[in-house]
Formats: sequence, structure tokens, C-alpha cells
Amino acid sequence: MTVLAWRAAVLLAALAVWEIVARPLDPVLYVAPSRLPAALARMLSVKELPPLPGHVWLTFTEIAAAYALAVAAGLWLGFLLGLRRTLGRIYEPLLAALYAVPSVVWYPSLMLFFGLGPASKIAFGFLLGFFPIVLSVLAGVRQVPQHLVTVAVSMGARPRTVFAKVMLPAMASTMVGGFRAGLALCVVGVLVGEILGSRSGVGYVLNYAYGLLMTGEYAVLVILIAAAVLAVDAAGALLEARVKRWGS
Amino acid sequence: MRTGAPEQIALQGVAKRYQTASGPVLAVESVSLTVRSREFVTLLGPSGCGKSTVLGMIGGLVRPDAGRILIDGEAVVGPSPHKVALVFQDAGLFPWRTALDNVGFGLELQGVPAARRREIALGLLEPMGLRGFEAKYPRELSGGMRQRVAIARALALDTPILLMDEPFGALDEQTRLLMGEWLVDVRGRTHKTVVFVTHSLQEAIALSDRIAVMTSRPGRIKDVVDVALPYPRALDAPEAVDLRAKLWHQVREESLRAMEGGA
Repeated sequence: MTVLAWRAAVLLAALAVWEIVARPLDPVLYVAPSRLPAALARMLSVKELPPLPGHVWLTFTEIAAAYALAVAAGLWLGFLLGLRRTLGRIYEPLLAALYAVPSVVWYPSLMLFFGLGPASKIAFGFLLGFFPIVLSVLAGVRQVPQHLVTVAVSMGARPRTVFAKVMLPAMASTMVGGFRAGLALCVVGVLVGEILGSRSGVGYVLNYAYGLLMTGEYAVLVILIAAAVLAVDAAGALLEARVKRWGS
Repeated sequence: MRTGAPEQIALQGVAKRYQTASGPVLAVESVSLTVRSREFVTLLGPSGCGKSTVLGMIGGLVRPDAGRILIDGEAVVGPSPHKVALVFQDAGLFPWRTALDNVGFGLELQGVPAARRREIALGLLEPMGLRGFEAKYPRELSGGMRQRVAIARALALDTPILLMDEPFGALDEQTRLLMGEWLVDVRGRTHKTVVFVTHSLQEAIALSDRIAVMTSRPGRIKDVVDVALPYPRALDAPEAVDLRAKLWHQVREESLRAMEGGA
């Protein structure tokens, strides 16, 4: 409780400092927090601006699609490389090397392949989110204690049961961290994709507001995105705590 | 030896090789041994002599390269959870399961309904001094408690045979002695056939009907010694002291050989 109170206090203090610093400066370049509600109202009501709910929904579906693909592919490849030792030894260094490449360099080619529409954003979100997921699945498979597998086998567990009742739970705490990081990166990928080149989505609106020096609207969008990401991550943290409650 | 009781486990000329980076290693060679129903037989020997391998082969976890293993006259081809339960040195509890759910694991695999599992598990945990700990996770239990939960998990399968691989090896000496007394008690109540692996002379003498002394690698059976002392056993009784000296003489030779062999 005291931690929550302190967090609230820090947040309020930050807002106060922001207000005090921004108020006397040029309102075209610097936005004081007190001007944000009006900016939000404008975005939702003025017809000449891009309609916000539609763009938010589009971005949301792009993120969901990118994440679903990243999770599916990450689980598949992670288990494949984790369970087939030779394959793992061949491909894991490649995976780690690809992860180290700054992913933005791939984006122009993704736009060439998938066009300016949602597909290239989904592809970029997927590309970013996929790596932490597959690497965490791989790490998870490897850290399943062989001993626990032996115990289950000695009690008559068949491979499928070993997978469901021993491997998955043993991997959960490792995987959940990778899944959280993967989601955060999917969000980054989709938004960056929209900002770098598109005609729709929150990233596009952000770019639009920024390009027209609508700093108030721009700041509103940044805060909305931050709030959404924080909420999702808090949910992820709760899940992680639940998975780790028996932690070693 | 319980003469007259039917032969339950038979090892006939069993051998096992392991492939290692530096070539094949013969872990166990021509081991023959029979264990009668309700008998408590201990495999005693220096570390690395293949005791655990023998136990793993009886449990169907390790496939022998030569020889046969029979349980109730049938060849062992894999784990048989209706006949054999195993306890390992590392308790091997599932950290994401409570004590109760750990004990119920084997029953869960057999499709026993949850209410019945709970009943069986509670019935096992209570006399083990674990009443009130059923909802705890393994990390919240002491080493001795964890091992008792692991034993309860094996007993829950209600098999005629219990294989124990240095089950008290990781415990401190006091806990170990108490667990030994407790095991004698459990065995008196459940009438199981037990094959027990240890490198502790005291433990072997305190628990066994017969002790099979194993040689250093490759593991063979050097001698089988009857322990005709009444339970509960006083380890300072003259017979126990003599027996210990005799066993030590045999084990010492093998331990020295194992050390010279670079073990």
C-alpha cells in the first residue's frame, strides 16, 4: 500500500514539474499536461482529424495478429530445436545472431514484400516479438530437470503426459518472461512500422499529429500508448507472479 | 532370508555398458540375484559401482545389455507402475505441485479421481508427520519432509515392490537415522518387497534382511550377507558390530580399488 502511495506521489510530482516547466514555454513546441484533455477532446470530435477509435482498433488487431504468430512460431521452433539436440546445435547460434541484428534494418524489405498496409506491420511486429519467445522456449526446454522426467516415466507417464505434466509446468517460469518481452516487442514493431510508413493505425496518427506540429494531440497519443502498454505489462506481471508462486 | 516366500525379483547375468566420450564403460557385469517376496535386500558398495544402474534396470528405466530381469516371472521391458515404485536420492518432487498433489501424481496418471487421490494422499501423509503440510510447496518443506513426501508418492501407487536409491543420502545424519527407523516401521506395516541402495554400512545393517556387497566398477556381486537380527536393531549390539567389521573389510577393498581406478 505504501509503495502504491509513493508511486502515485511520484507520478503527481512528475506531472507538476512537467506543468511548471512547460507552461511558460512556446505552446507549439511544448505541451503542458493541463492542455491534454482538450487535445484528446479535439481528436475525438474534430472531423478533419483521423478518427481515433478506428485507428486504435486497427493497431490493436495488428498487434494481436503479430503476437499470435510470434507465439505460435516461437513455440513450434523452440520445441523443435530444444527437443532435437542436433538441430538445436546447428540453428541456435544462427537464431542468436539474427536476434543481435538491429531489426529496423529489415523493415524496408518487409514493406517491399508486404506493401504499406497492415501486413507489413504485422510482419515487423512478428519479427521483433518472435526472438525472445523462441529463445525462452528453447531455454525452457533445456532447463527441464531430467530427473523429474525420470520420476514421471517411472510412474508410467507416456511422452505426451510427460510433456503436459512435467515439461510445460517446469518451463512456465522461464517462458513467461520471454512471452512478456515478446509482447512488448510486438507492440514496438507494429507502432514503428506504422510510423515509418503507413496510412492508418495509431503510429500513423502519431506521425500525422507530429508532422502538423499538433503537439497536444501528439502528447495525448504518446500517453495513451504508454498507458495501454503499462496495463498489458501489469497483466503479464500478475501472470508471471502466479506462475512463479511456487518458485524455487 | 525368508525361505519359502516366492521369488519376486530375479536378475540373471545382467550387464550394462554406457557410452561415454572416452569410449564404452562397463558399469555392471554378470549380476545375478534373487529377491523373495517381502524381503528387504540392500545393494551396498562404493560410489560409482553401478548400484543405481542395477536398481534402474529392475525399475525398467535402464535396459540391460545382457542377461534378464524377471519380476514375478515376467521379463521387465519398461516401467511397471502397478508393480514397482521408485524413490530416488533427490526427492524429485514437482516444485509446482503441493505436497498433496505430489503424492497424488502417480494416481493421477492412473486416472484415479481427485477426491480419492486426496483421501489416499492424506492417509499417507498423516502418519508421516506431515499433517498440516499437505498444501505446502516443496520449497517450503525441509529436506527430510521432502523425502517423506517422495516416499509417500511411491507408496501411493500401492505396489508390492519398492525400489529405493539412496533415499536418505542427501539428509543429515540425525534425520537419516530417524528416517531409517521410520522406514522399518513403514515396512512392518506395508509388507513390501524392498530393494535398497546405499553406501552406508550402518543403514544397510539397520534395515536389511540381506546385504549384497558390490565390487567397484564394473559392478558385480561380491558377497551376499544375511542379517539375522531382530528389529528394531541396536547398532551397538555385538552381532551388529561384528557384521559391520565384516562388511567394512569387503567394502574397503572395493573402495580402495575404486579410488585407484581414478574414481
